[in-house]
Amino acid sequence: MESTLEQHLDDTMKNPAVVGVLCTDEQGHNLACRGSLSDEHGGVVSVLAKQAAALTRDPTDTPTVCLESDSGTILVRSHGTVTVAVHKISS
Amino acid sequence: MSTGSLQTTAAVTAGLERIPDQLGYLVISEDGVLASSGELENDEHTAGVMMQMVRTASRFRLAGLADVPFKRMSVILEDFVFTVTASGQKVFVVKRQHNQQEPISV
Amino acid sequence: MGCCYSSDNESADQDNERKPLITHPNPVSKPPNGTDWITPTVPSARTDEQALLTSILTKTAQNIIDVSAADSVMMEQHEYMDKARQYSTKLTVLSSSMPQTKGLALPSLTSQPHQVLASDLVPYSDVQQVSKIAAYAFSAISQIKVDAKEELVVQFVIP
Repeated sequence: MESTLEQHLDDTMKNPAVVGVLCTDEQGHNLACRGSLSDEHGGVVSVLAKQAAALTRDPTDTPTVCLESDSGTILVRSHGTVTVAVHKISS
Repeated sequence: MSTGSLQTTAAVTAGLERIPDQLGYLVISEDGVLASSGELENDEHTAGVMMQMVRTASRFRLAGLADVPFKRMSVILEDFVFTVTASGQKVFVVKRQHNQQEPISV
Repeated sequence: MGCCYSSDNESADQDNERKPLITHPNPVSKPPNGTDWITPTVPSARTDEQALLTSILTKTAQNIIDVSAADSVMMEQHEYMDKARQYSTKLTVLSSSMPQTKGLALPSLTSQPHQVLASDLVPYSDVQQVSKIAAYAFSAISQIKVDAKEELVVQFVIP
């Protein structure tokens, strides 16, 4: 199971616009990460996803949180018990 | 420091009103909601969550950068988007409509 | 390195908290009922034990508010005003040297909030991409074999 996730992150990093990817559980424990995103980001990522969920009353409407700058965007999205963050640079 | 930091709240809210796809906005300070309009009028709940999120996000740092690595935070939901930024001890939130519905395959 | 709740630090903090902001300008009038615990003529060769006792007495004396003696200490109005002024100047000085906690709480992300908020939204393709990555990651964790032939996230088009 571990290797499937690791493989998935490796595949994601093959996209030239992606410079970092991170996968965390609901408690902010890091499951895997690559590139610019590391262990230290897990907590903030999972908390942001949780806080954003309070913005909608519809439990099926999953929010995507984006932290945007001129150079790139960090996108955060949950699916079930996992939350992923993807750091994309502007092309 | 650019002269933009001198923009008053009134000048900014006038600007926010003119964003074509805006559905409402909030201007929040530490002490509470300073201004609100449209679908976000008196929306204390959204204001509270946004303040928390800005505080959480401001702890985010990328290796080698001392500053907060973003100037805007967006929360994208199915039917609309919240765009959020902070300036001069105030948090600005604009609820906007999606401008593109075309799914682009990646 | 000390332990978490080191009593040394704690008592030091407490002392600082309870120390009068303005030291008494006129020490003669301090114990109005004449209970002079701290004798000015302390024997020069006092033992550690005596020093300890003296310090305990001093602390106790500082903590006691003698209500019965309060009536005898009459303060003129101008004295009150003087004290109030003294306290406020002292507080201004102290607060200016304190770190601005409010200033730290909110970051300044831009000097042009309106322009930043009005600029283009994140491309929808990026949102789709991250939802797909999240869905795959979840499947990987859940040990569900995904045979990815179709998009995992389907866009419902509402007419």
